[in-house]
Amino acid sequence: MKYVALINNEQYEIEIDNDGNILLNGEPRDVDFLPLGASLYSVITDGKSLEVVIDDEQGNYQVMMGGRLYEGQVLDERALMMAQRRGGLGGGSGEVNSPMPGLIVAVPVEEGQTVSQGQTVVILESMKMQNELKAPIDGVVGSVNVETGQTVDKNALLIEIKSPDEE
Amino acid sequence: MTEQQPTSINKILVANRGEIAVRVIRAARDLGIPTVAVYSDADRAALHVRYADEAVHIGAPAPRDSYLRMDKIIEAARQTGADAIHPGYGFLAENADFAQQVTDEGMIWIGPSPYAIATMGDKQSARTAVTKNGVPLIPGTEAGLPDEELAHAAEAIGFPVLIKAVAGGGGKGMRAVHDPEHFAEALATARREAESAFGNGDVYVEKLLVGARHIEFQILADSHGNTIHIGERECSIQRRHQKLVEEAPSVVMDRDLRERMGKMAIAAAESVNYVNAGTIECMVDKDKNYYFLEMNTRLQVEHPVTEMVYGIDLAREQIRIARGRPMTHTESFLEPRGWAIECRINAEDPYQNFMPSTGKISTLITPTGPGVRVDSGVYPGSEITPYYDSMIAKLITFGESRSEAMLRMRRALSEYTIMGLKHNIPFHINLLNSFSFIAGQIDTNFVEQRFSMTTYEEEPTQAELETAAIAATLYAHRKRQEAAQVVAPAKRDASNWKWISRWERMQR
Repeated sequence: MKYVALINNEQYEIEIDNDGNILLNGEPRDVDFLPLGASLYSVITDGKSLEVVIDDEQGNYQVMMGGRLYEGQVLDERALMMAQRRGGLGGGSGEVNSPMPGLIVAVPVEEGQTVSQGQTVVILESMKMQNELKAPIDGVVGSVNVETGQTVDKNALLIEIKSPDEE
Repeated sequence: MTEQQPTSINKILVANRGEIAVRVIRAARDLGIPTVAVYSDADRAALHVRYADEAVHIGAPAPRDSYLRMDKIIEAARQTGADAIHPGYGFLAENADFAQQVTDEGMIWIGPSPYAIATMGDKQSARTAVTKNGVPLIPGTEAGLPDEELAHAAEAIGFPVLIKAVAGGGGKGMRAVHDPEHFAEALATARREAESAFGNGDVYVEKLLVGARHIEFQILADSHGNTIHIGERECSIQRRHQKLVEEAPSVVMDRDLRERMGKMAIAAAESVNYVNAGTIECMVDKDKNYYFLEMNTRLQVEHPVTEMVYGIDLAREQIRIARGRPMTHTESFLEPRGWAIECRINAEDPYQNFMPSTGKISTLITPTGPGVRVDSGVYPGSEITPYYDSMIAKLITFGESRSEAMLRMRRALSEYTIMGLKHNIPFHINLLNSFSFIAGQIDTNFVEQRFSMTTYEEEPTQAELETAAIAATLYAHRKRQEAAQVVAPAKRDASNWKWISRWERMQR
């Protein structure tokens, strides 16, 4: 099987054959990958012993290794083709979702407004704190799905930002 | 005051949740006393419910419908035959009304008297009480003065000054003013904020201490007239007035200062005839001048660092004192044995401006080994909900010296694995790498003004990224194979393994 792994925005081509041999960007790699639990693995590579924890949520992979978190995606060939058709790997989505249930305190942007990446688009109150949710990309606010005073669930789509290329 | 006759406690209801409820249950269990947990709808599966001998459901997840419902908690105590209530910290712990109601029910309140809670709970009455015993205060005005008088007072105190809301908390209605020209504007803003946040626009002005440390003294007092201090804790690592790291002792402390501040702390506690565990919070400036800030009339979050360096169980002493017995030690503690550091592990993402995170803890690997203590309220599979504060656990390390405690903290942080939500362990790892923290050069503005997540963080190496990529891919590959195996096995004539290889050929 051929895969493309995108980890911390770096892309790697990885092939796993039927005997379990691993090729990384065409080079053979000796990796002993031993499952220890639901998401805990012991990895021995180049004589180094590592404890690795891996989680995935809706296709987003989180790899915890040596006290550091790596994030990314793993796509097989078909998924890669579909991703490329949608405008390339790792191209950030313009969706602003609620990271947790909470109360919308303010929506300082409106439809049609031009926003830049990192600009605050929603203020959400949860766990006794006010949290500023930022625009993930540069673009134009396509739709605002919430209003001040509304309570939202986790992962609710709050705002969609269209990147300038889409228009 | 009159000496209380020793009474017995046969069952303790813990009016709290999370790690502190577990902490109190453990102390009670060490004493052989059965416990009752209370829980909201969100906490049916919480650790404190699992650890207690009995558990009573008290309502909906929002605190005002459960953990703040005095009537339901007292009813739960009646119903289970609990004869004492321990409030933990937060929720009802500093509610004088609740302490009074518990006492009126004929139950034992494991904490100070309602009078002490009420007096220390109000800034103005606290200042009045402690001044009587010669405790130094930060120079400032009284509350409720008109604008003009406040402006005059600010000049007299000397800039920089701090405008604070009388009803304040959490930094709301608080403004630092560095020169007279900006005073009027800042005053108006502070009043507006205080009015909208607390419905009370009254403010007062006090001297702003630059480069000051937050140092607090642990107090223990029994009903036999003994009041002692158990040394200091340094809590200068804060963000938005929330403590993140605490240690005992403090690097600025020497025996003489500890003795003087300790005496002051005892005098402050005695000004309200304090009984049980409490904390005198102080600011200490660069010249080691110290000022009383407030008294917390409860067990503190950071009490374990004191327990580690003085070898005392504060929660157990609280129960002992509530039973009317003399406390184990009647002399103050002046010589810490070793050093202890506590990191608060919060469900907050340090890379996203400490945004809180909720979710299910999918993997939890807790550090162990020499000098490591973890006070936690969670387990693998438990949920962090949006209803309560974001603290998951406290990691405490102990060493013979500050450097040994710090090295053990680094080791323990690297062993600590929590998956399923974002947390602040990376913040602590970075903090433990920062030269200022290692050198002990910290004050209450350090985290907000001089610390950055990126200063000490090295980029991962290419080899590390490759290993992470391979591990993620092997994980994805296994998932795929598992998914293939569970597809309707009965309808296939070939074995699963044959079927996978056919399926994989098809995919090529």
